[in-house]
Amino acid sequence: MKRRLFLASSLSSALAACSPLGTKLNETPGFHNLLGTAQGLNHLVIGTRGSAREYSDADVDRDFRVNGLATPSDSSYKELVQTGFSGYRLIVDGAVERPMQFPLAQLQVMQRVTQTTRHDCVEGWSAIGKWSGVRLSDVLDVVKPAATARYVVFHCLDKDDQGTQYYESLDLHQARHPQALLALTLNDKPLDADHGAPVRLRVPTQLGYKSAKWVGRIELVDSFAKIGGGAGGYWEDQGYEWYAGI
Amino acid sequence: MQIGRKIYRYALMTRVSHWFWVLAFAALVSSGLQIFNAAPYLDASDKSNPARRVLSLDSPSDGVGTTTIFGHTFTTTGWLGYTDDGMGGRGARGFPAWITIPAYQDLADGRRWHLFFAWVAAACWLAWLISSAIKGNLADMVLRPSDLPKLWPMQAYYLKLRPEPPPHGTYNPLQKAAYTTIGFVIAPLVVLTGLALSPGIDAIASPLTWVLGGRQFARLWHFVGMILLIGFFVVHTFQVATQGVVNQMRSMITGWFRLGEHDGVGP
Repeated sequence: MKRRLFLASSLSSALAACSPLGTKLNETPGFHNLLGTAQGLNHLVIGTRGSAREYSDADVDRDFRVNGLATPSDSSYKELVQTGFSGYRLIVDGAVERPMQFPLAQLQVMQRVTQTTRHDCVEGWSAIGKWSGVRLSDVLDVVKPAATARYVVFHCLDKDDQGTQYYESLDLHQARHPQALLALTLNDKPLDADHGAPVRLRVPTQLGYKSAKWVGRIELVDSFAKIGGGAGGYWEDQGYEWYAGI
Repeated sequence: MQIGRKIYRYALMTRVSHWFWVLAFAALVSSGLQIFNAAPYLDASDKSNPARRVLSLDSPSDGVGTTTIFGHTFTTTGWLGYTDDGMGGRGARGFPAWITIPAYQDLADGRRWHLFFAWVAAACWLAWLISSAIKGNLADMVLRPSDLPKLWPMQAYYLKLRPEPPPHGTYNPLQKAAYTTIGFVIAPLVVLTGLALSPGIDAIASPLTWVLGGRQFARLWHFVGMILLIGFFVVHTFQVATQGVVNQMRSMITGWFRLGEHDGVGP
């Protein structure tokens, strides 16, 4: 019986040690980096293939949950909202042959595509929205990426309370996906400020944090190492994976 | 009689993969609960739908934690819903800090652990499966139709309703049933339900998510799979502790197992 008691107590202390030991290991840079190697494997094995499932109007969440941060609070964004985004320009520059500035009206008359897709948040919840807008690849075709361009970086009209600007990035393969959309409307209405007005990205083949809101500038680059914290996005700089297909 | 004779029961690959699996399992459960905490509820639906909520851990007011299962709410302050936050205090948090990795709320690092150890667990399973198949040990473990009539007699022996277990080989019929269910049904289902949560996988193999009832439903199944694996772990540990713990532990470390009164060596 003593032996069983000993075993039971050693087992429960082993279980109780998991969390503190794991937390300690998590804060060890070498081990933390080792854990990160799975991302490369996931990107390689899953990647961006196929297409996200398209739903019908009946599946749509009329009150689509707001992901990430709510409306940007800075004065320049408020001014854009008050003027109905008349002064808004989507700047597309960097490693492109023809840098462009698209007024909202110009985006609105480009070829429209509509997708009713599920937004899968990294937190675990999902919501379905009907989005319409311009294919990202159509915009890329206009500006013609240079041979050196590898990544498409989305600079957003939003800063967090520390003053850090929100941004995201895709590689050219992901950006060329037919469902990668610069959305202008949600559920048949122009995007409101909470949902990313006037232009937000939709990447339904990856988790929701890739679908950046309030896109103001699209920059093509050969590397994002020198942008922001260098990890390719606002959330990536805080430890989330750049490849968000899983 | 074979009693007392030592046999080489577990091949090196079996032992190595077993212990790596233990590590991976501990890491996967605790990082999985960390991930769960970011949205501490489970819906039997595709998109999130509070009307089809099966489980939720909430903190309806400061200092109070509740658990709601199928609409029935229980106060679980300190255990679930309002728990240790891993930073010296308490707060609205599904599972408590002592059972999550990292201890404090950190979804990004919880995912890092989970997605890494998912590969480790899968690698262990594959390494064990391939090496056992090559060595021919797999046949001893897999439940066959001829084992089915022996399941109750074996259970009756455990319940002391029968003096002798039914004649069996290296593993008794209940062990075979447990290993077969865990190794070839539950573990693969846990992997598949986890993959179904991935929007990238959903784009490649949408029937997988659809068959499970949608993404939130897959999250629910993934959680149920974890509970079944924990259930197996508890029973398995109890069996090891009560059926000659030194012999059992030694055999999974050195490979050598001392035969007991009823241990067969045949098929």
